[in-house]
Amino acid sequence: MFKIIGGTIAGVILTAALTFFMAGSLMFNEHESPFGVEETAARIQANIQALSDRGWSLSALRDPSKAVAEDGTNVLPVLLVETCSTKYSAPLLKDDETRILSILMPCTIAIYKKDDGKTYIGTMNSGLMGKLFGAKVASIMEEIAKDQAQFIVMDPTKPAPPLIKGGPGGSGSSGGGSTSGC
Amino acid sequence: MKTTRFHWGLLLLVGGLCLSTTGYAALQPTDTPATIGKESARKAPSTADHTKFKELQRSFKDGPAVTEACLQCHTEAAKQVHSTKHWTWEYLNPATTQKLGKKNVINNFCTSVSSNQTFCSACHVGYGWSDDSFDFSKESSVDCLVCHDTTGKYKKIPGLSGHPNYDRIELPPLSGKFREATDLQAIARNVGKTSRETCGTCHFYGGGGDAVKHGDLDSSLKTPKRYLDVHMDADGLNFSCGECHLSDAHQVAGSRYAPTASDKDGILMRGKDHGRNPATCQSCHGSTPHPAQHAKLNDHTDKVACQTCHIPEYARGAPSTKMTWDWSTAGRLDENGKRLQIMNSAGMVAYDSKKGDFTYDRYVIPEYVWFNGNIKYTLFGDKVDGSEMVKINEFMGGPDDPDSLIWPVKVFRGKQPYDVEHQTLAVFHTADKGDKDEAAFWSNYDWEKALEAGMATTGVPYSGKHDFVATEMSWPITHMVAPKGDALSCEQCHKENGRLKDVKGIYMPGANNTPLLDTLGFGIALLTLIGVLIHGGIRVYSARKEG
Repeated sequence: MFKIIGGTIAGVILTAALTFFMAGSLMFNEHESPFGVEETAARIQANIQALSDRGWSLSALRDPSKAVAEDGTNVLPVLLVETCSTKYSAPLLKDDETRILSILMPCTIAIYKKDDGKTYIGTMNSGLMGKLFGAKVASIMEEIAKDQAQFIVMDPTKPAPPLIKGGPGGSGSSGGGSTSGC
Repeated sequence: MKTTRFHWGLLLLVGGLCLSTTGYAALQPTDTPATIGKESARKAPSTADHTKFKELQRSFKDGPAVTEACLQCHTEAAKQVHSTKHWTWEYLNPATTQKLGKKNVINNFCTSVSSNQTFCSACHVGYGWSDDSFDFSKESSVDCLVCHDTTGKYKKIPGLSGHPNYDRIELPPLSGKFREATDLQAIARNVGKTSRETCGTCHFYGGGGDAVKHGDLDSSLKTPKRYLDVHMDADGLNFSCGECHLSDAHQVAGSRYAPTASDKDGILMRGKDHGRNPATCQSCHGSTPHPAQHAKLNDHTDKVACQTCHIPEYARGAPSTKMTWDWSTAGRLDENGKRLQIMNSAGMVAYDSKKGDFTYDRYVIPEYVWFNGNIKYTLFGDKVDGSEMVKINEFMGGPDDPDSLIWPVKVFRGKQPYDVEHQTLAVFHTADKGDKDEAAFWSNYDWEKALEAGMATTGVPYSGKHDFVATEMSWPITHMVAPKGDALSCEQCHKENGRLKDVKGIYMPGANNTPLLDTLGFGIALLTLIGVLIHGGIRVYSARKEG
């Protein structure tokens, strides 16, 4: 009996520890980009626009490092491409049960430089995250994950597109309006 | 069940957000803006009001006429300027005996001044240098205004042999934009001390544009914020260039041809300069500047330049700096045979028919090299191997050289022409007299004509056969000093593949693996453990036996 209880407690502690230490890295994905920060962001924006038939549109482009610099501190470049799809947001926003997930809207893709001088793309692991919220959310998030995989395809044979600054709500705005998708 | 899973999900999400928020909080600034520099930020009062000088109460037909007026009071100024590198564009390096200076070096930007003086002399402190016949002894040819203008309205136009425009001109040509005639009278009456603006007129735009050449010098330093440079911070210490680059009789301290890589003489006291360079960090901060609680940092200063830690990245202002320049692709035109320009994602020119392909970067992680202050250049006529990368300049030094420190550098890479038969770098005539100049590459996109015209002015033979060779050129990084909180942290170097991974001849704890040392360390730890276990075992055994 003692062994069973002890084993269960040990299992719970081990699981909690694993969850604590690994949850963060499981929730997010990081990919290296062959391009610089601006070009990576621009290519992601172009990929998003190419999926407009799936409801995707650009919400905004933000540069959080600017505000940090204004405060007197340097951080390596970071750009946040914000995008949303009404196709996926509508069912989530309709339901009281899932409306709180609007805190995840719009989807954000982070493009940043690290100390090795390389550019990286950070995305949410939408597929895994969706599984935490039940079947309905899981199925939607799974579709989002598939689209997200398309966002970050970097095709060097295509010319560099221009970076689309700001958003429908203006530069650095929260987006908004019907054209922003969400 | 559904609700339970939902709440578990929310819990994990909130936990993750809390963790990420904690991480973000760690990025928040800890330094407060310096306030002690407010006093020095005020404009220094002058004892002379040039608007009242009768010599300046007239109109001037050109720049030399202004200089003649200046020289009526400042009688020795032109003679002093004549002996500076800013005037001669020449420098004889005593260490290498190489004849350097803009007049003599080749770079991998626009490659050479030779044959291009009309264009390049927009950054010469003189008027009228268009070819080798220029009279370097003429006092009225000195341009006082380019350094002493305080209005910000004085601009020497490339293509006018060092002159500003005296008439209204379309600039750039065919752009539909016009620049009014330079008001020499107003500018001459408002001269003053040099400033970031006047020095930056050339030094921020080296290589043909803003932020192109140096990486640590660009227009963002005109009114920089604290994050960009703690010394030049416009709301703080507000240093002008001359604050560090002290001048004496127009000789400006600090040289990129013979920089002071290592300054071990401590703080420079007044009257005890002994010919020292006052522009080094040590001349103000000394050789062990870190306080007692960070004393370990002072153990680094004999091998690591201040700049290595305190300029963690360069090109931190708004403009990206140019990182590569491939001349071999220049000359490609659009379907109508017109000049082609292709922009990159950030809206900067990535391809130009006149210049080839470029790449840019910002917040660039420097490369690091041993440097003792000596730089060896590849000059006109020096042999190069077209199959290998050619170092346009090479920073000398090494781990066993007591005068060497580890320095951050910008390495600018490119492709440029070389003479296939003579195996020398080949320079070309880029732009001189506009579209009427048939030999200029920017007029006709004809490499052979441009190379023949360019090489003819160097005195080095040209075979008529060219190809392109990969080159690289290094630039010391010494401006854009970040706030102390942004200096490199220990672990940015002391880890595998850290910042200094390519620096030869150093052992850094945490970064390098020395098998003998590792074996010794682990061996001692193992023996200690065994000793403890044996000791503990004996104690347990003894206690049981006695008890």
